[in-house]
Amino acid sequence: MKRLPILVRLLRDPDRAASLSLAEWDLALRQSTSTNLSPTLLALLEERGLLDAVPAQPRAHLEWVRALATRHRQAVRFEVECIQAALVKEAAPLLLLKGAAYAMAGLRAGAGRLFGDIDILVPKTRLDQVESALMLHGWAGTGHDAYDQRYYRQWMHELPPMQHVRRRTSIDVHHAILPETAPVRPDPDKLRAAAVPIEGMPGLATLAPCDMVLHSAVHLFFDGEFDKGLRDLLDLHRMLQEFGGRPGFWDALPGRARELQLGRPLFYALRYSRRLLGTRVPDEVLDAVAPLGPGLPLRMLMDGLFGRALLPMHTSCDDAFSAAARFILYVRGNWLRMPPRLLARHLFHKAFISKKTEIKK
Amino acid sequence: MAACETWRLRPGQTLQYRQWDGECVLYNDLSGDTHLLGDGAIELLLALRRAPATRGALAAILQAGFDIDAAALDHETDLLLRDLAHLNLIDTLAC
Amino acid sequence: MLTVASLSRTQLEARLSSAGLLVQTGAFVSRIHSPLRQVADGIDTLYGDYPLHDGDAFADFHVGLRHPGGMRRWYKPQVNFDLDGQLPFEPLPQAHAFPMLEWGLNWCISTRAHAYLMIHAAVVERGGCAAILPAPPGSGKSTLCAALVNRGWRLLSDELALFRPADGVLVPVPRPVSLKNRSIDVIRDYVADAVFSVPVSNTTKGTVAHLKAPSASVARAHETARPAWIVFPRYEAGAATSLTPIPRASAFFRVADNAFNYSHMGGRGFQTLAAAIDGCASYDFRYSALDEAMAVFAALEPPR
Repeated sequence: MKRLPILVRLLRDPDRAASLSLAEWDLALRQSTSTNLSPTLLALLEERGLLDAVPAQPRAHLEWVRALATRHRQAVRFEVECIQAALVKEAAPLLLLKGAAYAMAGLRAGAGRLFGDIDILVPKTRLDQVESALMLHGWAGTGHDAYDQRYYRQWMHELPPMQHVRRRTSIDVHHAILPETAPVRPDPDKLRAAAVPIEGMPGLATLAPCDMVLHSAVHLFFDGEFDKGLRDLLDLHRMLQEFGGRPGFWDALPGRARELQLGRPLFYALRYSRRLLGTRVPDEVLDAVAPLGPGLPLRMLMDGLFGRALLPMHTSCDDAFSAAARFILYVRGNWLRMPPRLLARHLFHKAFISKKTEIKK
Repeated sequence: MAACETWRLRPGQTLQYRQWDGECVLYNDLSGDTHLLGDGAIELLLALRRAPATRGALAAILQAGFDIDAAALDHETDLLLRDLAHLNLIDTLAC
Repeated sequence: MLTVASLSRTQLEARLSSAGLLVQTGAFVSRIHSPLRQVADGIDTLYGDYPLHDGDAFADFHVGLRHPGGMRRWYKPQVNFDLDGQLPFEPLPQAHAFPMLEWGLNWCISTRAHAYLMIHAAVVERGGCAAILPAPPGSGKSTLCAALVNRGWRLLSDELALFRPADGVLVPVPRPVSLKNRSIDVIRDYVADAVFSVPVSNTTKGTVAHLKAPSASVARAHETARPAWIVFPRYEAGAATSLTPIPRASAFFRVADNAFNYSHMGGRGFQTLAAAIDGCASYDFRYSALDEAMAVFAALEPPR
């Protein structure tokens, strides 16, 4: 069995920080830089009071990202306030997803986690009003051709990304967490009904803990792009650690996964989080989730694929199969969101038709 | 704007600034922007940092400290308050 | 501590083409990989004084200058700059490999080292006081910097002013000084024993050469400096030398305009820059004759 990369070993077990050699730190920071996990690593070590144990040079190097994490936190807060102001006429609280949710709720998963877009979830019936309100306050649709516009509005679970004209920040407005074309349909009404307010922040809410975990699992295992794979897996690990301590969380998780038709992603989430990051999951939960997993042949294939694709995207972590693994998972990811017939048309269009139109201009 | 309207410093603004020869550079703790402000603007902000104030009280501060034509005072105050609000430095409490 | 000069040319080439050469330049350690002759030449000529680290030391940057794959390895050969597998730039002709290393290292620092407030400026020091020379390209900053460090001033950097937020001091990264076109000849005349890399022509900046940093500056690369003067230089052929004070608020914004990461540094960036402006005298400086420029700088009084 192959040894886990040094970064993964460190994320699994941050106490190792006290005993790494300079050469090991050199490699660990190269891996964390290429995976954009340095701010997270800084936060993790600081949380555990381990920064003083890091030798001077790697410590100084790690400190380079502190300013970025601080600035990012400030920018997210301000952006969320601006979105709230734009959507003040909406009755429901502003429901944040993913990074913005972790950041504003002060979750451990949010510490040091940098991201590019703010994601929100709104009722499908309010999409037009939300889009109009955002446009009134300075957000504009990004340059997409008519095909892209239709693709998004007809088949996707979100509006085309909007960008604020002055601040250049992006917002993704979702009405569901998976596209209409996906083989499963986690009911957005159920997600919204279970949403929890953020303490100390009137008008802001996040998904319930189980739903946050399931959403993160779906995003990781149904999407195709793994440049953020390890980061997303780490989100899951941190959330499971934090929520795992709350009464009722583990009991509710398997049932909720079934209810939302997200048993398979939960199976993978728990499996790979345990394997790579050593997440502690109660046996009863593993037993309850086992039947939701794939048969043995597929499971072995997925182990091979995900086992590679979830590692840091750095040459030190690649083997001969890593690039292929990522490609196969990319195609699989798109297939899960769109059936094969539509996928071929979509990929064909994206590759050829869009470009030609650009040349015409 | 009504004279009874009460203005306050936006929560989160700490007013990190420097004042050099009639010009003031100020860091906006919310947006991360850095502004170049005149003396009048910083006087109002410092007053609001001490306590929220009505538009009338703020106009009086400007009148006391600066050479402003009495006829133009209200208009100047309103412009300044509107600009500072637009910059997310101040906002109003309900009347 | 051993320096790069302790290696023979053969040993230098061996390290560059295998495990990499670990060299310290002030606050940063870089591991450099390259099989290209131009890179070995440039390092051989200009990097003798810099401390050498051995194989398992920690490096801040892992950079490579190598041929791209495919045709451009042989036909009109090109060179890529890679930062640990990331290719931030388009390839350049192989002849430009050494300038590409220098530009690449500046890029690495300016896009990553956010522990510092980083300004695009030259920094020189004399008698415990530092002068910061911010300037967009073409202002004559590098020529002025090259002259100053050969007339009694210590070189901290020709491109990167690094302010440490905790105490406001400047941190050195004294690497070779980049010069272009006419400046190369001007400095060759002005500095008796000037050591240059082989000039490279037809770059996007014209002809480029790098001047060896004074050994004394490299030896003091660990010594920080207190900022005292901010001088915006402008070379104008035939102009009378003039030094004109600038209002502080104006200086603040002009320096921020020349910063790599003012916005990233948030409130800390504001405080660091404000403290620097508080503690410095700021000027616009116009010159045409280097001797006159040296005299003006020699006469600068520390503020307060």
